[in-house]
Amino acid sequence: MRKLMTGNSAVSHGVVLSRAQVISAYPITPQTTIVEELSEMCADGRLPAKFIRVESEHSAMACVAAASAAGARVFTATSSHGLAYMHEMLHWVSGTRLPVVMVNANRAIGAPWSIWCDQGDSLSQRDTGWLQLYCQSAQEALDTVIQAYRIAEEILLPVMVLVDGFFLSHTSEPVDMPAQEAVDRFLPPFRPRYKLTPDEPHTFNIMADTSLFISFRHEAQAAMEAAKKLAARVDRDFKAQFGRGYGLVEKFRCTDAEVVLLTMGTAAGTAREVIDQYRRQGKKVGLCRLRLFRPFPAEELIKTLGGLKKVAVLDRDNSLGAGGIVVRS
Amino acid sequence: MKKKKPIKKKIFFPPMSFSYEGSQATKTGTWRYLTPAYLNKLAPCNESCPAGEDVEAAMVLAGQENYLGAWEKITEENPLPRVCGRVCFHPCEGACNRKEFDEATSINPLERFVGDLAFQSSKRFFPPKEKKREKIAIVGSGPAGLSCAYHLASMGYGVTLFEAQSKLGGVLRYGIPSYRLPKDILDQEIDNILSLGVEAKTGARVGKEVKWAELKTFAAIFVAAGAWKSLPLKVPGEDAKGVMSGLEFLQRVNSGQAVDPGQRVAIIGGGNTAMDAARSALRLGAKPLIIYRRTREEMPAWEEEVSETGEENIEFILLSSPVKIVTENGKVKGVECIKNTLGPAGKDGRREPRPVEGSNFTLAVDAVISAIGETPDFSFLPQELRRSTGSLPVDETGATGVKGVFAGGDIITQPRTVSYAIGSGKKAAMAIDATLQGKDAIEALRSARWGGKGSLSMARYRKGGTDGTVPEVIPFSGLNTAYFKRQARKPKEKLPVSRRTSGFSEVTLGLSPASALYEAKRCFNCGVCNLCHNCFIYCPDLAISARPDKQGYDINYDYCKGCCICVEECPRGAISVEVKK
Repeated sequence: MRKLMTGNSAVSHGVVLSRAQVISAYPITPQTTIVEELSEMCADGRLPAKFIRVESEHSAMACVAAASAAGARVFTATSSHGLAYMHEMLHWVSGTRLPVVMVNANRAIGAPWSIWCDQGDSLSQRDTGWLQLYCQSAQEALDTVIQAYRIAEEILLPVMVLVDGFFLSHTSEPVDMPAQEAVDRFLPPFRPRYKLTPDEPHTFNIMADTSLFISFRHEAQAAMEAAKKLAARVDRDFKAQFGRGYGLVEKFRCTDAEVVLLTMGTAAGTAREVIDQYRRQGKKVGLCRLRLFRPFPAEELIKTLGGLKKVAVLDRDNSLGAGGIVVRS
Repeated sequence: MKKKKPIKKKIFFPPMSFSYEGSQATKTGTWRYLTPAYLNKLAPCNESCPAGEDVEAAMVLAGQENYLGAWEKITEENPLPRVCGRVCFHPCEGACNRKEFDEATSINPLERFVGDLAFQSSKRFFPPKEKKREKIAIVGSGPAGLSCAYHLASMGYGVTLFEAQSKLGGVLRYGIPSYRLPKDILDQEIDNILSLGVEAKTGARVGKEVKWAELKTFAAIFVAAGAWKSLPLKVPGEDAKGVMSGLEFLQRVNSGQAVDPGQRVAIIGGGNTAMDAARSALRLGAKPLIIYRRTREEMPAWEEEVSETGEENIEFILLSSPVKIVTENGKVKGVECIKNTLGPAGKDGRREPRPVEGSNFTLAVDAVISAIGETPDFSFLPQELRRSTGSLPVDETGATGVKGVFAGGDIITQPRTVSYAIGSGKKAAMAIDATLQGKDAIEALRSARWGGKGSLSMARYRKGGTDGTVPEVIPFSGLNTAYFKRQARKPKEKLPVSRRTSGFSEVTLGLSPASALYEAKRCFNCGVCNLCHNCFIYCPDLAISARPDKQGYDINYDYCKGCCICVEECPRGAISVEVKK
């Protein structure tokens, strides 16, 4: 079934199809309409989930973390300053290995005030132990949310799905809505091996001495490395079932290209048009869209970009004093 | 030889750190150096109730809509809630912490509501199972006598009331007009007390129908004969026809005798008797005017009585003193007054009137009612207690100089109010019981004390002072008012003035059930746990749980680490902190 919907609405439907059980969020532009639609669906019963209103993004993340620890499939969404406010909790969630899925609508962080798209908000959270998947279209946003739950719950790491503020969050596109039964086949219910329950009391995140601390970090690093393969496998499975796949790195006219543009998110959509125009002029150019930023798919990038005459990187961010984060990576 | 690399055995390693046991394995209570504990404090209303009512506990119950439970709490201390709910000057409301926040809680109207509801629900006193041998004589059946009789009878003593008048009630019946205290309500409250087996002898004036010697056969005597002798005006013409005392006038009106005060009646005085006399005269068709030597501010009558008198358009002639009753053929024709100015404050703190020479003026009146004060009559007492003037001296237990003789009410030195009388009757009952049981009366009364204003609790007396309440009164600053919202107090509803003055119907109307509950819930319940759950909600260690009987909370000190958030967040200061030694 094809429907015309905004990127944010596509995200909401992805959450519904994934059968999220607990949602907690605090509104912030340009994310707000995601949780607005979800709260309505929770209120009228279309989504049998608990929607917890909170006073801040920090609490929103704490809420979903607790619900996830108790074994629920959870969701939250935020943007910009809201994400920054969650920063501490992002570490706790990944350290607890909770399969939380969050959508961040990319928006510049002030000052000065801005509501426009800038991926600096999520890129500045790149070291928090979350997977990051950058989307290009509303369809991809919906599909990625579903994939994100599969990845998160298999590897026990949180996943952040990124949609460019306004360019994607607020523009409408035709979206193919997968059938619920098909999604259910792709995404089995969340059955955690470790969860908080009064029947079998445990304390999560007890203090670990330095050697244990390192061990837990090794485990997480290993999981992150494994997540690259897992993300690729989940994407292939998804393609097998739904006919749509995106890869970790999406290549467009790269086979014989001498110059390739590397970018993330919606900019790739526009770039595609430009590359077609250049190709018509006989210029050997291609596009490489980085979809998975964390874990960083270095091997695949090297394979794609290695030996090229030139690679142009379009960063929608800037690490002050170091330059674009994608180019530096 | 090459060293063999050790084979690394893959051991189970969980993805995140977690304990094998629940968090209860960690006894966080060992970290504690501050210890919170539930400790009920004394509420200021309890401390200020001259009748020693447990206002606090009654308000908690009323807030839970358990009005009959509230009635039981009140009547444990005071057998006359329907009387007090109408005529008490409610110092409880004056002390109410809520007045620092918005307005005091309507305790007095609630007491009336609870009393009336209990009566309608056929709540009655139960005679005690065990009777005692001793019999006590009580002289006077006003609030002091009735209170003493009730408490002694409740403890199992045989009680005989000696009342000079034809009916019981004393000042409640013969002093207070029925528009303030309807007689049927008084009758019902008295009947309830008599149902405990109290014997009442009416028309039995001690010194006349009954000899003092007869009373001496009783194990103890409580003298509560009141103050019924009016002070003379000391002006010429005072003995003319048409001059009477306020009490005499009220007594006649209240006993249903036909009284015709005439058209224009001057009432001399600014006390409650003067207001009652003026308003009664108005209801009998007269045009009363009140003559008072100072201003309205200095009037000793209750503010509410003065303002109701004003509402009824009764004229006040202020800063004026009578100097002569003008007579014609031995009958009152007018009253000559002199104007006063106010001088410096006298001994009682009120400014003294000073006559202005030559300012005399005469008012034409048909009758003069003098209500400038009353004094007890000691003529019936034995020589050793007889005094010429003033009041009967008693010690802190209410005992007179004669062994076995106690006194209370208006005959002793204390504010002349119904609630003080009730309190003194209770005090005497305790002292008589303690004395007869061979206990130290002073010590026994001390254990029954509630705060520092002389209020005595029968419940504490019976338990020997161990009811778990600490004697400190909780001040407004001891509350966490963040949990209260400002709510206006429900104003007292009164009969419109036009419908008041045509008869003796009750002026103040009772609270509606909705208003009663609203007011009961407005009560802060200062210093006592009312099961609001705040401590349970805030305890970060889940160390607080509701008791199985749901009558309070328990703190599990194995886990309480002494953060004392519960103490901070208790809206009513019912939790205290003890420092671990």
